[in-house]
Amino acid sequence: MSSQPVAVVGIGQTHHKSKRRDVSITGLVREAAQRALEDANMDWGDIDAVVLGKAPDLFEGVMKPEMYLADALGANGKPMFRVHTAGSVGGSTGIVGSQLVESGRHKRVLSVAFEKQSEGNAQFALGGGKSGSIGAGGAFAPFIRAYIRRSGAPEDIGWKVAVKDRLNGAKNPYAHLKLADITIEKVKESPMMWDPLHFLESCPSSDGACAVVFTDEEGGKAASKPPAWVLATSMRSEPGWFAGRDAVDPQAAHDCSADIYKQVGITNPREQIDCAELYVPFSWYEPMWLEAHDIAAPGEGWKMTDSGATALDGDFPVNMSGGVLSSNPIGASGLLRFSEAALQVRGLAGDHQVGGAKLALAQAYGANAQFFAMWAVGSSLDPLG
Amino acid sequence: MTDTSYDMEPFHLQFPFTRSLGSTMSTFFSALAEGQIIGVRIGDRVVAPPMEYDPETGADAGSEWVKVGPKGTVGTWTWVPEPTRLHPVQEPFAFAFITLDGADTPILHAVKASEDQLAAGLRVEAQFKTGDDVNGRIDDIVFVPASDPSPSEGAGEAYTAPAEPEVQMMDAFCDLVYVDNFAPATREWAAALMQGRLFGRRCPKCDRMIIGANPMCSVDGIFLGDGAVVELEGTGVVSNFTVITPTPYPGQKETEPFVRCSIMIDGADAVIGQQEIVGVPASEVRVGMRVAIEWAPEGERNVDDLGNGNHGATAGAVRGWRPTGEPDEPAENYVERMM
Repeated sequence: MSSQPVAVVGIGQTHHKSKRRDVSITGLVREAAQRALEDANMDWGDIDAVVLGKAPDLFEGVMKPEMYLADALGANGKPMFRVHTAGSVGGSTGIVGSQLVESGRHKRVLSVAFEKQSEGNAQFALGGGKSGSIGAGGAFAPFIRAYIRRSGAPEDIGWKVAVKDRLNGAKNPYAHLKLADITIEKVKESPMMWDPLHFLESCPSSDGACAVVFTDEEGGKAASKPPAWVLATSMRSEPGWFAGRDAVDPQAAHDCSADIYKQVGITNPREQIDCAELYVPFSWYEPMWLEAHDIAAPGEGWKMTDSGATALDGDFPVNMSGGVLSSNPIGASGLLRFSEAALQVRGLAGDHQVGGAKLALAQAYGANAQFFAMWAVGSSLDPLG
Repeated sequence: MTDTSYDMEPFHLQFPFTRSLGSTMSTFFSALAEGQIIGVRIGDRVVAPPMEYDPETGADAGSEWVKVGPKGTVGTWTWVPEPTRLHPVQEPFAFAFITLDGADTPILHAVKASEDQLAAGLRVEAQFKTGDDVNGRIDDIVFVPASDPSPSEGAGEAYTAPAEPEVQMMDAFCDLVYVDNFAPATREWAAALMQGRLFGRRCPKCDRMIIGANPMCSVDGIFLGDGAVVELEGTGVVSNFTVITPTPYPGQKETEPFVRCSIMIDGADAVIGQQEIVGVPASEVRVGMRVAIEWAPEGERNVDDLGNGNHGATAGAVRGWRPTGEPDEPAENYVERMM
């Protein structure tokens, strides 16, 4: 397959809130897209193709929103793609956009992902419109219980992640939650929502969108601001339920990151990767993904959290942006992870910048912890060289 | 295996979605509530209803509002001989593209007229709801043949919008009725539940047990026929659980924290998920607890909430699983088995 370098030259996101009552869905996606175009020093006419991602249509009750959003995103007369891979969709939307440039088919591609949760109700939508929806928290809480039992991790690990990500979010001007005064005590005392998960260990419901502009090597080198180079992309999936499935440590998670490491030449992720944005909608998923993506050895992920290694000033910062725990416009959440990784290697992450970040990893997962989308981005095409 | 047919009850998917309109549509609907239809000038065209962006280029449309209508001209139409309860007009009517006076683009709307009146070029005018019937929605108007075909007064003039348009939100009630017709494997599972039986299918390749309305081995991707069916015991051990604090939403009946368990069935390498526990409070459920199934009495069982792809769902036929009081199962017998 012919393959050419891909550069991220524009990133935009909305200010995420529980209710963005000041904009329509159209206005929401355009806000992110316009910021990405400005960042790329481009206009609508410069874009060759548009990719749109979001979670299930029942979240807003708008069927096939890509149809009516096509011209709102400047796609009139251009190719338009809709991507859907549950919670990992934001990541997949970035990957599809990137691959349209990588393949040589298009020169400049805009990927946009969004969710406007305030127009509907996520628990209703996840329950298929019926009573007794267990929601995402109810689906993942048993996996988390199993991880705690398996790893022997102390109970405060989840609380520590909840505090760390919210303190990072307080540094991010776009984050929904800015809880600068959060404490372990507050997390521990917050209501139990999905035993063993407390309210403050859970992501918020947000309205928000994210957009990324991709271009080729020539465009990346000519960009007015530093680009992020897409070093590797990968997606993996597995059935959500089968006898003996290890949903705590899914094979697809290992396979997805192994594919990324192979493409980039990473042999020691903990040492060689400067920082990571992992999809952590519930606090315990930080140590779980550190292990499932082979950044930590089995049973050792929680020790990275415990020691402060994953803090903004640690040796392996995770979720510098505040992560999903600080903003969760579901469909956009994956692209926000991918974007933060790119902002880090561009040196444009502001108060949540990791000094000298050259190689960053981003991940999104979805459905019953069964879909995975990941990428690695670098400040150059050969950050390990 | 018995294949019992069920007449599936239609499911009403209902939800009161809400739209935040944003400044352009707020301005449009607020004007409509005042009896004025408007468009927006984009380049040398007046687009009505107004849009937030130039549909040709994606550029911002701005806010140069223009009065249009209330009369206009039908460009083309389609006749709706049998309106449903969700249509805007409850008698035979037409959906038409109407170019309002002062506008360069058509609006799609309903025209109340007889079928033989409809023609390209028909002059129509908006009829506005009044008083308490006004909602600031697109169905505040309906079009009828114009009594006087002369041009609308004031069409094309500038419209000055209030700083804070009154209509900011719109209800969008979803009312979708559908029947989830059962696949053959779902019918078999439903029939078993109605008879008070649980069964699984054992994959001859990987030896995994698949429980519920699933005729496939998800791992090997092979069909598991009647020969693979294994009857299962109604006893087991809680291998994992969570207690869910229900969030209220329209249609939610749960009001108190409720439990959902994974139960490893005795005598089979099989776990059934999303099960309820009865007989003890949610706070007393623990991993390792031994439980037995409690079927709803015959005649009270139903499979209304069952759907294709719900795998081991038992709702409607099973009350839940009741702790037996036996000593807890040793962890090595079930640990790591949430599926």
